[in-house]
Amino acid sequence: MRVVAVAVNTFRETIRDRILGVILLFALAMIVASLWLASISLGQEDRMIKDFGLLAISVFGLIVAAFVAANLVRKEVEKRTVFIIFSKPVSRSEFIWGKFLGLAATMLAVLAGMTVFLFALAWFVDKSPSGSLLVAGLLIYLQLLVVMAVTMLFATMTSAILASVWGICVYVAGQLSHNVLSMAHAGHAGSAHVMSALVFYVVPNLSAVDIRAAVVGEGAVARSSLLGWGVYLIAYLVVALLIATAIFRRKEF
Amino acid sequence: MNIADHRDSTFSVLEVRDLHKTVAVGFRRRKVEILKGVDLEVRDGDVFGLLGPNGAGKTTTLKVVLGLMRPTSGSVTLGVDGLAELGYLPENPYFYDYLTGSEFLRFCARLFSLGARERDARVSAILADVGLEGAAGVQLRKYSKGMLQRIGIAQALINEPRFVLLDEPMTGLDPIGRVEVKEIIQRLHERGTTVLFNSHILADVAALCTRIAIMRAGRVVWQGAVDEALAATPGADLEGFFMDVVRS
Repeated sequence: MRVVAVAVNTFRETIRDRILGVILLFALAMIVASLWLASISLGQEDRMIKDFGLLAISVFGLIVAAFVAANLVRKEVEKRTVFIIFSKPVSRSEFIWGKFLGLAATMLAVLAGMTVFLFALAWFVDKSPSGSLLVAGLLIYLQLLVVMAVTMLFATMTSAILASVWGICVYVAGQLSHNVLSMAHAGHAGSAHVMSALVFYVVPNLSAVDIRAAVVGEGAVARSSLLGWGVYLIAYLVVALLIATAIFRRKEF
Repeated sequence: MNIADHRDSTFSVLEVRDLHKTVAVGFRRRKVEILKGVDLEVRDGDVFGLLGPNGAGKTTTLKVVLGLMRPTSGSVTLGVDGLAELGYLPENPYFYDYLTGSEFLRFCARLFSLGARERDARVSAILADVGLEGAAGVQLRKYSKGMLQRIGIAQALINEPRFVLLDEPMTGLDPIGRVEVKEIIQRLHERGTTVLFNSHILADVAALCTRIAIMRAGRVVWQGAVDEALAATPGADLEGFFMDVVRS
């Protein structure tokens, strides 16, 4: 009940933020710009729209995830609204989870809007609906949930701007996760092998649920492995939030 | 039956014993002892004034009582059922300015797990109580300082607490705002709610409080009934008594 109250309030806070509207407008403009790219590509219109559109959704979603998540908790501390919250019977874990779920709801609304827009655009150009675009949108959402959780974890330890930067770094590293694993397998030097394996296991493997290539017709998607990696990413974000809660519990205001 | 009928002036709503709080400040984490053994007792039905110069440790004491800070040593005993029966107004409060007054109070009510019907009833009643029913649908960013202070008091009372802590409730208010806040505190007292508030405005303290404590440099240096303090000073002047105690 209290988690829901904090989540609803966070959803209101973020959805009423004008910056979010501006970011969304930019994202939609970028998706529309894919029409122009499609027009100058020879016979690749459909592929261009989907590829560029999904990239725009990822990038703008990442901006929202990293910058909004970093500020969510810190703003409450800096503006001292935590005094209002924690003078009521609200635990630190209810607060952290409520904040996360509220932003997750906002992110869902934003990504659903962008994905449906891209889907409609691709349908308009290609005349045949592609359901895999919607699945790709859902998987981008999952990736961004992980980035949000990790950014919130960093925000309990450091400044908002540093937490945002770290959140973006984790996203980039997560996209390169498979390459790191390949390096680990190819490497002969012991320390390099260990380092690569360590990075692979510590950084969330976001690339495992990236199906952009499959959506544009390059390669296939193994549904069973997607499900497994999805469960792994959810477990990852739960652990990140549990650590964030443990750190936040020690804070004094 | 009025809650005031159940007042038991021998029952302690708050008992603070030998409270110490040390914090680490600056890059070198220099230790600073803010509270140096605070002893405090607030009895059921009191309007209790916590006085002292800036930096005396008043706000820190309240924060420790609320659990916003952990004590280094000493004890805090509440005679009420934890935060569920407490109300708190922070000093210079900031609220969620994107919410309307009514949305904000509903949010606070949900934090006490109140059901929808009870929530609606409490929000309407409390808005009327603090004179903000006409501004219920207005976003908090459009509220004046006095209105914000009143909505702050409203959120502190949304759970019908037995014990209310108000940190500088009159600070920054114009004379009308001060009178309105004083009237709210007076009404709380009449209903039997125990109130503890910090203030630098000694005339308000003399008019409202039944008992006071004076803090200086992290300690309570005097504690007792307001009448006792007034009787101890020529001309029954609380300001004179306060200055004598703080300078002694």
